[in-house]
Amino acid sequence: MARRWINRHPGRAERLFLGLLPFLILILVYATGSAMRLEVNPNDKLLPSFASLGNAIARVAFSTDPRTGVVLLWADTAASLERLVLGLVIATALSLVIGVVNGVLPYVRAGLSPMVAIVSMIPPMALLPVLFIVFGLDELSKVVLIVIGIAPFLMRDLEARILEMPGEQLIKAQTLGASSWQIVLRVVLPQMLPRLIDAVRLSLGPAWLFLISAEAIAADVGLGYRIFLVRRYLAMDVILPYVVWITLLALIFDIALKRFNAWVFPWMEAGRRSA
Amino acid sequence: MAFPLKTLFAAAAMTGLLASPAPLLAAEKTDFKIAWTIYAGWMPWPYAQEHGIVKKWADKYGISIEFQQINDYVESINQYTAGKFDGVLVTNMDALTIPAAGGVDTSVVLVGDYSNGNDGVVLKGAKSLADIKGQKVNLVELSVSHYLLARGLDSIGLKESDVSTVNTSDADIVAAAASPDVTAVVAWNPQLAEIKKSPDMTEVFDSTKIPGEIMDLAVVNTETLKDNPKLGKALAGAWFETLALMARDDAEGKAAREEMAKLSGTDLPGYDAQLKTTYLYTDPKDAAAFTRSDDIVKYMDLVRSFSFEHNLLGEGAASKDVVGIAFPGGKVLGDAANVKLRFDDTYEQLAADGKL
Amino acid sequence: MSHVSVSNVWKEYDGQIVLERVNLEVKPHAFVSIVGPSGCGKSTFLRMLLSQEMPSRGSILVDGAPLPPEPTEERGVVFQRYSVFPHLTVLENVAFGLEVQRSRLVGRLFGARRREVFEACGEIIAAVGLDAARDKYPSQLSGGMQQRLAIAQALIRRPRILLLDEPFGALDPGIRADMHDLMLTLFEETGLTVFMVTHDLKEAFHLGTRLIAFDRYRRRPEEIGAYGATITFDLPLDRSSPREKREAMAEIGHAVAGN
Repeated sequence: MARRWINRHPGRAERLFLGLLPFLILILVYATGSAMRLEVNPNDKLLPSFASLGNAIARVAFSTDPRTGVVLLWADTAASLERLVLGLVIATALSLVIGVVNGVLPYVRAGLSPMVAIVSMIPPMALLPVLFIVFGLDELSKVVLIVIGIAPFLMRDLEARILEMPGEQLIKAQTLGASSWQIVLRVVLPQMLPRLIDAVRLSLGPAWLFLISAEAIAADVGLGYRIFLVRRYLAMDVILPYVVWITLLALIFDIALKRFNAWVFPWMEAGRRSA
Repeated sequence: MAFPLKTLFAAAAMTGLLASPAPLLAAEKTDFKIAWTIYAGWMPWPYAQEHGIVKKWADKYGISIEFQQINDYVESINQYTAGKFDGVLVTNMDALTIPAAGGVDTSVVLVGDYSNGNDGVVLKGAKSLADIKGQKVNLVELSVSHYLLARGLDSIGLKESDVSTVNTSDADIVAAAASPDVTAVVAWNPQLAEIKKSPDMTEVFDSTKIPGEIMDLAVVNTETLKDNPKLGKALAGAWFETLALMARDDAEGKAAREEMAKLSGTDLPGYDAQLKTTYLYTDPKDAAAFTRSDDIVKYMDLVRSFSFEHNLLGEGAASKDVVGIAFPGGKVLGDAANVKLRFDDTYEQLAADGKL
Repeated sequence: MSHVSVSNVWKEYDGQIVLERVNLEVKPHAFVSIVGPSGCGKSTFLRMLLSQEMPSRGSILVDGAPLPPEPTEERGVVFQRYSVFPHLTVLENVAFGLEVQRSRLVGRLFGARRREVFEACGEIIAAVGLDAARDKYPSQLSGGMQQRLAIAQALIRRPRILLLDEPFGALDPGIRADMHDLMLTLFEETGLTVFMVTHDLKEAFHLGTRLIAFDRYRRRPEEIGAYGATITFDLPLDRSSPREKREAMAEIGHAVAGN
C-alpha cells in the first residue's frame, strides 16, 4: 500500500535537490528576464546580465576604487560589521544586566519592567531625528539605533525566560544555602546565557534593518550607504551582489551563534537530543 | 529541465520584474502615465490635473494623461526607467545619469525652470565658501547638491578631495544640520530655507552663481513621444496655460498659487519664497529659446563631466562621451550613435507660436 | 521533647480557608508520610514546613525556635520534577551545596579546593548509584536517576529535615521499588526527619514510621472555602501490627477514594 504523503520523507540527495531547486528556479527566471530586457535595451540597468554582475563584483570586491583608494566592498563590510557588532555587543550586555535583575529581583522588576515594556513599543526609526541631534550623525547614532532597536526586546525576552524558570530550582538552591547573588551567578545566568544568545539570533534581522536604515540616512561608508548611493543611478549590478553579500553575512552570523551556543552550553544540546 | 521553456517564460513574466520596457508597447496608445514628486517647480502639474487643465488638453488630442505622485524622488525616476511610466519630472543631471545612462532613450519635452537659489551650500559659524576646506559636508551624494558643491569648490580653486562628503537623506538633512557635529550642509528648498533659519548658519554659495545649470524638466520616453506626438502637445498646452494662470497677480493667480502651496505642504508666503529662487519659464518663447541656446550645451557638458567623474554614466564608461546628448538643430554632445537624451524644443515652440 | 512542633496552624488564600487547626508534634528521626485527597492542602503544609509559604495563623517550631521566613539549608527538599539544575553535571549538581557554602563570593571553587569537594561528593553519588553517570547532564538521565540525583544533592548539606513532595510520583513501579529501598537505607543511615507527601498509600505505609492524612470534615459545595482541611488520621506505624496496618489502610483508602 502506498504510504500517505505525510509519512514520506525525502532522502539525503533528494533533500539537497529540493533545497536547491527554488534557488535554481530563481536564477533561471532571473536569467530569462535579464536576457529579455537586454535584448530590447542593451544598456538596461534593471536586470543586469551575469557578465555585468561579475564585472561589478570584480570592481567593488577585488580592485581598489580609483577615487578613494580602497576596495569598496571590504571597506563597506568592515564599517558595517563594526557598527553591527558594537551595537549587538552593547545591546546584549545591557540586556543581560537589566533582564536578569528584572527577572530575579521583584523590587527592581516593579520599578523597571513597565518602563522597558513601554520603551520597547517605541518604533526606533521614529526616534532617528532625535538620535541625530542627541548623538550626532557619526558612528554613535548608528550604534545607538541598533541598541535601542533590539535591547528592549532582549530585556523583555530574558525577563520572561527567567520568570518561566521552574520555581523549584530557585527553592532548591536556597535549601542548599545559596544567597541571591550566588543564585544569580550559578543558577540563573548560566541557564539564561544560551537563551539570550538565541534571542540575539532572532534580533539579527532587525539589527541589520536598523543598520542599513541608519547608513541609508547619513554615512560615508558602509553596506547600506553603498546600496542607497548607487540606487541614485540605478546600479542594480552593484545592489544585487551587495544584497546577496549581506544575506550571506547574516547567515554566517546566525550559524556562528548557533555553533557557539552548542559548543559553550553542551547541556542544551544534550537536552534537545534526549527530548 | 523538465519545464517547457514557454511555461518558464510565462512564470518569469508574472514575476513583474519583466514588465516590458515601454518601447515594446509604444506603437499607438492613448493612455499615458507621468510620475511626479513634490517640488516647488513641479507643483503646477498636480494643480493642472486637479483643475481639469490636463484633462482639457488631453481630451483635445484624444488621449488621457494621468499624473501619479511618488513619495520618493529617486524612486519615481527608477520607476520611469523601469518602464512603469511614460514620463517623469526630473532634473537635467538625473535625467542623464539614470534613464539615459540606463539606455532608456529620453526626450525633454519641457524645460520647466532652473534653480536660481533653490540649492545652496550652508556653513555653520563660517562666513565664506573658502572656510569649507577640510570640513565634512553633509548632502545627498550624487545629487544636484553634490553638483552644486563641486561647482562651488571649482569656483574658488578647491577640489572635491579638499572636503569629505557624508551622504545624508534629504528627509533628515534638517535634523542633521541641527546636530552639533555637522558644520557644512548642501541642501535644496524647502529644507534649505529651514536650515538657513538658524542664526549660526550662513549660506556661502548657491545656485544663483550657476544659473541655468540645474534644470527641472518634464521628460518622456523618446519612442513613446515619436509614436504619439500628441502627448507632447497636450503636456505643453497644459503646462503653459497653468503657468500663465499662476503668474497672474490677481485673485485667481493667487488662489492657484495658494493651492499649489497647500499641495506641497507649505503656505502661500512659503511657496512664494520658493518660487522666488526658482526661475520658471512662464513664456514659451523663453523656454524654446533657452532649449536652443548654446548655453544649454555648455551646461550639459559641465553636468556630464561631473557625472562621468563620479562614475554615474555607468561602469565601463570610457569617457564622458559614451552617452550622447542631442540638442535642437542637430547639435550633439558625445557619441552621436548612442544618443539617449534629447532636448526637444518642438512643443515649446508650438506653444510659443500659439499652434497647440 | 518534640523536634517539629506545629500548633494551631491555619492557611488562607483570599478568604478561602485551605487548612485549619493543624496540630502536630513530631519526634526526631521520624518518617512522616502525608496522604489525602487532591486539593486537601497537604502540599501547602509541606511548603509551609519549607518556608516557601507562611502560615496565616499559628506557629511552626523546630527545636523550639520559629521557622525562618525563607528556605534554609537545615531543610532539604526533593520535588517531583525540576529539582536538579539542568546546566550542571551530576557531580556539579551534588557539589553545588558545598561550593556555595565555601565560596560566598562567586559560589564556585577552583583548583585543589574544587577537587577536594568533588572527591567528598563521590561517596553520596556512589550511595545513590550514580557513579557511572558522574559527568552526565540531567537531561541525559532517566527519571529515576534524576530523582536519585535530587536526593543526593539535597543531602550534601546534611539537613536535619528532608521534605519530599511526591518524589516518586512520576516513576515506573519497578524503579519506584528501588527508590524505596534507597530511601529507607538513607533514612536509617542519616538520622533525618522526613516529611513525604504522596498519593500512593502503599508507599506511605511502606516507608513511613508515622502516617497522617489531611481531609475536610465538611465538604458540601457551599462549605468549601469556609472550612479548611485538617489532620483526620494520625497513625504511628512503627508500633502497629500488620493487621492494624491493613485495617487502617482500608479505612483511609476508603476516605480518600470517597472524595
